[in-house]
Amino acid sequence: MVDAVAAFVAWLGASVVVLADGRRGLALGAAISVAGMAVLALDAAGPEAAASVALGGVVAAAGRLRSGRGGWHIMPAGSTPRLVLCIAAALLALWIAAALTTGPAAPLRFTAMVVIGLSGARVLGADEPPILFTAIGLLALAIALAAGIGQIAPTPWPFLAAAVIAGLAGWISPRTVAAA
Amino acid sequence: MLQPEAVELVILAAAALAFAVAFSPPAASRRELLGKGGVGVVGAAAIAAVPTFEGTLLALLALGVLHSIIGGKRPLAVRLRGPVVAVTLLGLGAFFARVQGPEVMERFAAVGLVAGLAAGVGVLPYLHPIDPDEPLVSSPVVWLAFAGPVLAAVIVQRAQSLLPVDAAGAFGAMLIGLGLINVVWGGAAAWLTESEAVAWRYSFVADWGLVLCGLGLIVADGQRAAIVMLFSIVLGRLPLYLVALHAPHEKVVTGRPVNLVVAAALAGSAPFAGFAARLLLLRAATQLFWPLAIVLAAGMLLWLPGSLRLGRSLGLPKGRQAVGVALVLAVNVAAGLYPLPILLAAHL
Repeated sequence: MVDAVAAFVAWLGASVVVLADGRRGLALGAAISVAGMAVLALDAAGPEAAASVALGGVVAAAGRLRSGRGGWHIMPAGSTPRLVLCIAAALLALWIAAALTTGPAAPLRFTAMVVIGLSGARVLGADEPPILFTAIGLLALAIALAAGIGQIAPTPWPFLAAAVIAGLAGWISPRTVAAA
Repeated sequence: MLQPEAVELVILAAAALAFAVAFSPPAASRRELLGKGGVGVVGAAAIAAVPTFEGTLLALLALGVLHSIIGGKRPLAVRLRGPVVAVTLLGLGAFFARVQGPEVMERFAAVGLVAGLAAGVGVLPYLHPIDPDEPLVSSPVVWLAFAGPVLAAVIVQRAQSLLPVDAAGAFGAMLIGLGLINVVWGGAAAWLTESEAVAWRYSFVADWGLVLCGLGLIVADGQRAAIVMLFSIVLGRLPLYLVALHAPHEKVVTGRPVNLVVAAALAGSAPFAGFAARLLLLRAATQLFWPLAIVLAAGMLLWLPGSLRLGRSLGLPKGRQAVGVALVLAVNVAAGLYPLPILLAAHL
């Protein structure tokens, strides 16, 4: 039951990242999604993995508050296609994770698939660096989470590496990109 | 455990970087080339060194982000698109390979892995947009020959261990199909396109078509063809492209003997490395399904007109650049006449 709630929270956060354009909205979405993924990582790969995901996510969210368009900008005008994408992605992932595939850890399968898909789609549909790097951070953490699927004793290393990438990506600002 | 092909390709990438630093024209910043190129070599080594598939994806993502933020003429979102799409597709491919479920999941896994590989390298149908004025270090054409080979070697080897036997067969067949598309499209486009920069890019794409065919052929000669072809991309086409980038623009383009020799090397004629790779590929195709060899042989003819054009784009190399071209041609002749060391280093 806890895992199912965590999977829902992870999807909700990823959806907020897809639907938000402002720095506060992006940071909130990243923080919510990471909270859900950290709970799932605890179950899948132990406390080190969960701590890595949580720390990486907090650093990424804090970094995101530093740069980007001010305010929340959640669901601005013209974001209906993005809302449809979030709901459709959730339904498709739910069908595959719960009905089409078998075995334990259905919430983990749902979360890995939906967060990878939504993050990738967000990068394809955005132009602003803060949005791109927030989505990349979530993508890295979801890739690490996917490493836990079908493995008896997953190691925490992918989670640690993903947390480093997510944390650093969260602190890349448009000024850094322009100066390079 | 480190994969020998990947280690060899990292060393070749380092050699290509050394060539770029040593033979770049005085106007180019050697320090910048060495610094940013060195990071690229370390990133490629990280892709090869990490022990898990997901680790490879994370290394690719990190390298892709670094490659995107070091500057360039294209918008950041465009620069990031290739590696992020690659990681997304490869991640979903690995996901479908790991879950338990109906057989169709394995096919989805094979599709995701092949599509992700194409996006990561930057070949059809995921060509990275290019800008002719893009700096060398952030150019997607250089990515094709610098990070792409290591990525392909690692992804193909790990994907085959992820997939069950039936899906691995489908994976190989899709690689061959994608390779043929790249051979035909790249060969024709390198010949017919107006821009020289675009023609060079398509020539890389055509070479990559042969590499994908070689990787998809499950017999040993196919793998051998792929590694020799990758050698010819990294230490043949890439250095010649770097020389052509800085060649003075001539009002009247004339074909000198040096341009003909360069064209022969680019077209994969004997005795250059590309010829050995093509022979191995045809032998592998004959062993597996002989009509494929006919299609490949016909596709290889497309290299001729495009290579003559690209050979002329070098102009008349002088001084340091002439030494560089001579060195590249000599290395490719040596590899073409005696490719055994390349194959032994890759344990093939």
